Amino acid sequence: MRLRRTERVWAGAAAALLTAALAGCGSGGFSEDASSDSGDGGTIRMLVNITPNLTQEYWDKLVKPFEEKRDGVDVKIEAPTGKGVADTLQQQLAAGDAPDVVETLMVDEALAPKMLELTDQPWAKKAPLAKQAALKGKIYNVGIGEQAQSLVYYNKDAFAKAGIDQPPTTLDELTAAMGKLKKAGYLPLQTSGEFVTGLQLLQLSDPSLAQRHPHWHRDIGDGKLKAGESMLPYLELYDSWLEKGYLDKNAMGLKNADGETGFLGGKSAMYVMGSWFTASEAAAEKDFEVGVFPAPVAEGQDHPGPQGATMAAPYLILKDAKKRQLALDLVEYLVTDKKALAAQLRQDGNFRRGFDRKFTPLEKQVQQILEAAPAGVAQGEGYGDDTLPRGFNAAFNTEVQGLYTGRSPKDVAEAVDRWVESHS
Amino acid sequence: MPSTRTLARRRDGLTSLLMAGPATALYTVMLVVPVGLACYLSLTDWDGYSAQPEVVGAANYADLAGDPALRRAVTVTFLLAAAGTLGLNVLGLGFALLLNGTSRANSFFRMVMFYPHVLSALVVGFLWSAILGTTGAVNSFVTSKGGEVLPFLSDPDWALATMIAVVIWAAFGVNVVLYLAGLQAVPHSLIEAARIDGATRWQAFRHVTLPALGPSVTINLVLSLVTLLKTYDLVVSLTAGGPGGHTQTIAYLILWDSFHDGRLGYGSAQSVVLMLVTALLALAVTRLRRRGEMAVFS
Repeated sequence: MRLRRTERVWAGAAAALLTAALAGCGSGGFSEDASSDSGDGGTIRMLVNITPNLTQEYWDKLVKPFEEKRDGVDVKIEAPTGKGVADTLQQQLAAGDAPDVVETLMVDEALAPKMLELTDQPWAKKAPLAKQAALKGKIYNVGIGEQAQSLVYYNKDAFAKAGIDQPPTTLDELTAAMGKLKKAGYLPLQTSGEFVTGLQLLQLSDPSLAQRHPHWHRDIGDGKLKAGESMLPYLELYDSWLEKGYLDKNAMGLKNADGETGFLGGKSAMYVMGSWFTASEAAAEKDFEVGVFPAPVAEGQDHPGPQGATMAAPYLILKDAKKRQLALDLVEYLVTDKKALAAQLRQDGNFRRGFDRKFTPLEKQVQQILEAAPAGVAQGEGYGDDTLPRGFNAAFNTEVQGLYTGRSPKDVAEAVDRWVESHS
Repeated sequence: MPSTRTLARRRDGLTSLLMAGPATALYTVMLVVPVGLACYLSLTDWDGYSAQPEVVGAANYADLAGDPALRRAVTVTFLLAAAGTLGLNVLGLGFALLLNGTSRANSFFRMVMFYPHVLSALVVGFLWSAILGTTGAVNSFVTSKGGEVLPFLSDPDWALATMIAVVIWAAFGVNVVLYLAGLQAVPHSLIEAARIDGATRWQAFRHVTLPALGPSVTINLVLSLVTLLKTYDLVVSLTAGGPGGHTQTIAYLILWDSFHDGRLGYGSAQSVVLMLVTALLALAVTRLRRRGEMAVFS
């Protein structure tokens, strides 16, 4: 049943107070209407993701030319106060203290009513993956480029020592290469705990899964397909690698950074990760060359297959933005200004088809892989109309880690399906 | 016309109300209202964003029973709470007995014992994961000597044991301090009298010191239990709930379901149940201890 007006007011107060209790911050309530002043000057708030690559200093520098162009405009960069951007925004919305622009989040059914639709903005339509990420045909998210997901980085010295001349193109070839690499004294595939385990399996399976089930997300949503069941062949393959010692059985005791260090330190031969890893690779000191190839596909499928792709630096504008026009101008600047684009693409190892920037040799290879991919596909939880219930990636990760604790691939697949069913 | 006594009584009543007012208001705003709101939200499907959460009745509570992640988290939390409470109190009391003196060495060691508690639990988690992780300091040493990697954080049972050990390491300094305070309140004459009567050190401790420490034991047990049932931040930094969700606690799951999966209604239902269970357990322990203390002193 729907709540009446009085109850809605109470719900708003409840949300605000609960949030205040959880986060120790202010008060407020749900607000459907807010002023949307289109005045030129003033302060505009942007909530962004802060990472080792994307520092506060970087963001301040990125928006400075915009501030200089617009007299009296101050873009206030806000770091998450909670665990991340998502829960910080929830708290701010509940407290009636939401920013004007948010970076990092992809819109979904829950978020869409709070966000400004950008479908009519000509520049928004041209943004990479904007149409794929549209929700029922409406564009909310605009980004600067793509993050290629299905990439396998490899140690060229290790491949040479193992006698592997060409990067594998099929999953069978990949398994055979792992055997050779193990014999050559390397840990064939680097992984780690935290969020990495499940992410890598999704990244690795994207090109093959997209050919086997071209409408994977929608078919799952329509009940024609089960997520876990459709992933079973990949889970079985992964489990066989684990049994053969191609993966470290103690990898769950590693953090993401330990995994990167393991590969860049030359102990392991391959590392599955998104294009942002090029930034870590460029910064690392190492005595071998790193190469990259697109994730292999199943026997008989086209190679390269569709590339798992996510929007890089996705921006959203709050519907209740106090300076709506200014927010629109800022986001337009961030996703269209060539210098701003180059800075953002470079900083976090992001790519954009047809956009040339100063590349490292590894980045150049990633750009070529991206250009050569027949399509970009949504991965895991997905985006736009191709989505699974919120939290899928984390749940999938938890279940995949079960393979390291003795669970069978079938058990893991069934657990994934149970999760999807209970969260749909 | 009211008598002078009645007027004085009214004035006293008003004064009491005024004196208690600020504290009552603070308690209401900071505790009663949030708890009430959590109860209300637990009856809705609120996702943290929507303006119109739907009231779903007891559906969230019904879902709790069939949630495999919650069942696992309940087991982990109760193991952690039971083993942790025992460890914190045995170690806390043990070290308090060792450091119950006024020498400079004792003061130094008290500070050392208390120091981990000053550190943020997040820092403690990262610190120990750097020491006990697969490529951490301990395993680097072990493997450099030709040994096998010890799965401190990669095996489900080891990871849980590691988490319990780290929780105890980080928190037992508080128990030491509380037990020291309790020990200093035990009249020395009682122990001396027992020793003069021929009691051994152990007998004096067992039959004089320990019963006199009754209230301290109760406080330590309840505080340890309540704190451990809410363990969250150390899980985030030490194991991130892994491997395979085997170290997820209830508090970790509440935050995860609420904010990551966008199910604040369901997370609130978990919070309400955890709050009730914690309160009941704390009450039960207090009652049992009270009964024990009364039996000793009667």
